[in-house]
Amino acid sequence: MRQRSLIAITAALAAGALTLTACGSRDDDGGGSDSGNGGTTVVIGVDAPLTGDLSALGLGIKNSVDLAAKTANKEKYVEGVTFKIEALDDQGQASVGQQNATKLVANDDVLGVVGPLNSSVGEAMQKVFDTAKLVEVSPANTNPALTQGVNWQKEKVRPYKSYFRTATTDAIQGPFAAQYVYNDAKKKKVFVIDDKKTYGAGLAATFTEEFKKLGGKVVGTEHINPESKDFSAVATKVKNSGADVVYYGGEYPQAGPLSKQIKEAGAKIPLVGGDGIYSADFIKLAGAAGTGDLATSVGAPVEELPSAKEFVANYKAAGYKEAYEAYGGYSYDSAWAIIEAVKKVVEDNDGKLPDDARAKVVDAMQNVSFDGVTGKVSFDEFGDATNKQLTVYSVKDGAWGTVKSGTFTG
Amino acid sequence: MSGVGPVEPGEGTHVRDAPSAPRPRRGPLERYFEQHRRAVLGALLISAVLAGSGYLHATRPRPESPPAPPHPSQVTTVAYLNPQAVDVETDPRSFSFGVEVTVESDPPVTVTRISQPYAGLSVTSDPRTPFRTKAGSPRKIMITMRVTECGKVPRNVGLPFLDVTLRNTHAIQMHSFILGPRYAQDLSHALQVACSNDFR
Amino acid sequence: MNELPQQLVNGLLLGSMYGLVAIGYTMVYGIVQLINFAHGEIFMVGAFGALTVHLYLLPDGTSIWVALPLMLLGAVIVSVLVAIGAERFAYRPLRGAPRLAPLITAIGLSLALQQAVWAFYPEAKSKLPFPQIEGGPFSIGGATIQTGDIFLLIAAPVSMAFLAYFVMRTRTGRGMQATAQDPDTAKLMGVNTDRIIVIAFALGAVFAAVGGVASGLKYGQIDFKMGFILGLKAFTAAVLGGIGNIYGAMIGGVVLGVVETLATAYIADIPGLDKFGSQSWAEVWAFILLILVLLFRPQGLLGERVADRA
Repeated sequence: MRQRSLIAITAALAAGALTLTACGSRDDDGGGSDSGNGGTTVVIGVDAPLTGDLSALGLGIKNSVDLAAKTANKEKYVEGVTFKIEALDDQGQASVGQQNATKLVANDDVLGVVGPLNSSVGEAMQKVFDTAKLVEVSPANTNPALTQGVNWQKEKVRPYKSYFRTATTDAIQGPFAAQYVYNDAKKKKVFVIDDKKTYGAGLAATFTEEFKKLGGKVVGTEHINPESKDFSAVATKVKNSGADVVYYGGEYPQAGPLSKQIKEAGAKIPLVGGDGIYSADFIKLAGAAGTGDLATSVGAPVEELPSAKEFVANYKAAGYKEAYEAYGGYSYDSAWAIIEAVKKVVEDNDGKLPDDARAKVVDAMQNVSFDGVTGKVSFDEFGDATNKQLTVYSVKDGAWGTVKSGTFTG
Repeated sequence: MSGVGPVEPGEGTHVRDAPSAPRPRRGPLERYFEQHRRAVLGALLISAVLAGSGYLHATRPRPESPPAPPHPSQVTTVAYLNPQAVDVETDPRSFSFGVEVTVESDPPVTVTRISQPYAGLSVTSDPRTPFRTKAGSPRKIMITMRVTECGKVPRNVGLPFLDVTLRNTHAIQMHSFILGPRYAQDLSHALQVACSNDFR
Repeated sequence: MNELPQQLVNGLLLGSMYGLVAIGYTMVYGIVQLINFAHGEIFMVGAFGALTVHLYLLPDGTSIWVALPLMLLGAVIVSVLVAIGAERFAYRPLRGAPRLAPLITAIGLSLALQQAVWAFYPEAKSKLPFPQIEGGPFSIGGATIQTGDIFLLIAAPVSMAFLAYFVMRTRTGRGMQATAQDPDTAKLMGVNTDRIIVIAFALGAVFAAVGGVASGLKYGQIDFKMGFILGLKAFTAAVLGGIGNIYGAMIGGVVLGVVETLATAYIADIPGLDKFGSQSWAEVWAFILLILVLLFRPQGLLGERVADRA
C-alpha cells in the first residue's frame, strides 16, 4: 500500500524533525567590545540561551558580561590587554552547549567562559572545558552536583577543577524555600511539580526533603513536559489533592502558565519556585493570577547593595535593549573574576600572557577575591561562591517584591 | 507554470504628486495672534526664560551626597561556634550554644531581636537583645532555646536558621542566618536529648 | 471529590483543539495525498493574525466581544492567504513530482514560516500575551469551564457541522468528494480540480485559524513555535481517526486529548506504574494507543478517504 508506507515515512520524518529542530544551532556574534589600547586581545566566551523561551535571562547574562569587558577596557584594568566577548547561543539545550564549548576551546584567544544558564547545559560543557583547562564561571547554575559531585549529599568531591560559579546552590536554595514556606508562610501541605531537568528536578528534591523533615506533608508529585503548555490535567490534580501550596522546580516559561492554570482550576494557592522563575516574564505569563506567588533567588536584593546600584546605573547608561534580569550582577561578577584572574596571570609574567595562560588562569581563579556587584566574590575548595545569600520574593502589583533574605554562614 | 504576472509600469508612468491643498482660511486663533502680536511674543519669551532657568536649576551640579551607609544585613555575619554545657538540673528542656556576631564596617549594628521560626521552641540570648556590635569587635552571644512543645519541634532539619532583626542608622531588617550543617547536627541532637523520654 | 468529570472536560477541550487542526491535515491528504506539515504553522500565523488585529488595527480598550469577531476574521484571512500562497508557490509546482518532494517542501515551509514570524513579527522572540475574555469560570455538573474555553467549546462543533454540510450538500463539496475518489476522472467530468485543491487548503486554513484563536484565548499567550508540537499532535489525531476522513479527524483529536489527560490523571494511581504516570509520560501513552490502533485497524478509527463516508 503506497499510502501506508507514505504515512510510515512521514511519521519517521516527524520524529526526526522533532529532534532536529531541537538541535539546530543558531550562532550569534556578541557585540564586540571596543578595542583600542592595542596589545593582546583576550576573549571572554559567553554561553547562554540568547533565543527561545529563556532568552530574557540569557540576554541579561550576555549584556552584563559585555559591560564588564567594556568597563575593564575603559579603565585599562589589565595593562596591555583588551577584552572582547564572544557570545554563543545554546538555546537552553545541552547538546548545543557542548558544541559551543568545543568552539570556544578551539579559539586560542578565549581564556575564560561565562555561562551557561541551565544546569543541564553546564553538565554537558564541564568536561570539554576541563580537558582544555579553560576556566568556566557560571552565574546561574545552581545544581549542587556540578561542583560537589553527584553524591554531594554523602560525600563532596569536586569533579572538575576548571568549573566555578557565583550563584548559590540548590543544596541551600531548596531548604531555604522549604523553611520559608513551612515556618513563615505556614503552609503544611505541598504539591511538588518539576520539569525533570537537572535544575528543576534537583531543586524540587532538595525542597521536598527539607519540607518533609520540618513536618510538612507532600500530598502529590507530578512531572510536566516542558514542551507542553496545557497543564489543565495537572492543575485539576493539584486542586483535588487539597494542597495549600505548590512547589515548582523549573523555569518561568512553564511556571507562568502552570500558575495561571492551577488558579483557574479553582485552587487559589500560591506557587513557589526557585531562581528559574524569578523573572519579569513569569508575571507576564501568569497574569493577574500570579499575585502572591513566591520565588527564592540567589543573592541579596539589588536595592540593598550599593555596588549593585552602580551596576544598575552603568547598565542603563550602556543602553542595552534587554533587562539584566535575575543573573545580571552574577554575570558581571563572573566576567570580572575572569578579568581579575587574567590580570594576576599577566602581572606575574612581566606584563605578558604566558604560553600556558589557560591553566594559569584556572589556578589564579581559585584565589580571586574582590568586592563585586553581589558582594565579596571568592571561591571555596569546590569552586562554589563563598558568599551565599538568598532572598524570597513575592509577586505584588505586577512586580517582584522582596520578602525576606538570608545568608548561609556554615 | 501558467498565470499572468503583474503588469510592469511602462515608461513615463509615474505616480503624480497630489496637488497641494489650498491655503486654509485664517482661523480665529491666527486672527487673535495678528491683533496681539506683542503680548503673545512677550508671554512666549517669558515662559521660555522661566522654563530654561527651571531646567538649569533642576539639573544644576549638586555636591555628591555621602554614600548611604550599607544595609545592616550586608555587613553583619553570624557564625555558629559550638554547643554550650547547660545545667541540666535546672531545666532539662533547655540547651544553649554560642554564636559570634561580626560587623564588617561602620556604622555599628544593633541586634534588636533574635528568634527562630519553629513552633514549639522559644529563644533567649545572653546578652539580652537589643545589643550593639561595632565594626572590628566581634561579640560572642550565648543563645538558649527552650522546648515548649516537643510534638511541634522538627527533629532532623537540614538547614535550620536564626532570624535576626538588625538595625543601623540606615535601615531595620529581619535577616535569616543559615548556620550550616554543624549547627543542624547539634540542634537536632539537642532536641532529641531535650525531648527524649528520660525525664518524662 | 471526584475529578473524573473535570478531567474529561480538560481532555475534551484539548482534543477539540487537536481536532480543529487535524481537519486541515486530513482534507489536504484526502484530496492530494499530501501531508502538509506546514499546517501547524498555518495555525500559528492565524493566532498571530488575530493578535495583529487586536494590537494594531483596533483602538485600545475595545471590548473583547466586539474585537473577537474581527480578530477571528483577521486570523482567517491571514491563515487562508498563507495556505493558498503555500499551495500555489510551494506545492503546485511539485504536483507531478515524487511523493517525498512535496513532503520535504512542507517541512521546509514549516521551518521557514516559524523563523519568519520569529524574525519579523515585533517581539515575537518571546511569548506574546493574547487578549482574554473577562468573567469568572462556569461550573457545570462538577466540572469548571473557563471563559476562554467557551469559544472553543462552541467553535469546534459549529465548524464541524459547517464542514459536514459543505462537503455533503454543496456543489463544490461534491466536487471535492469526486476529486478525492479519482482526480483524473473528476477532471474529465468537468470538475476544476485545481480550484478544488485550493479550496481544500483554504478550508483547512479556516479551521486552523479558529484553532489558533481558541488556543490564544485558552492559554493567554502565543509564540512562534506554538504550531509545531500542536501540528504533530493534530497529524497524530488525523492518523488515529483515519487520515482522509473529516469526522475521523475530530474524533481522533478528542480521543487523543482525552487519553493524554486521563493518562496524566490516573496512570500514576495504578500500582506499579507510578513512575510512568506524570504529564511528561502522557504523550508516550498517547502514542502507544496510536500504535495499537494502527496495528489492529491500520485504516484508523473511522477508515480512510473522505469520499467513503462524507
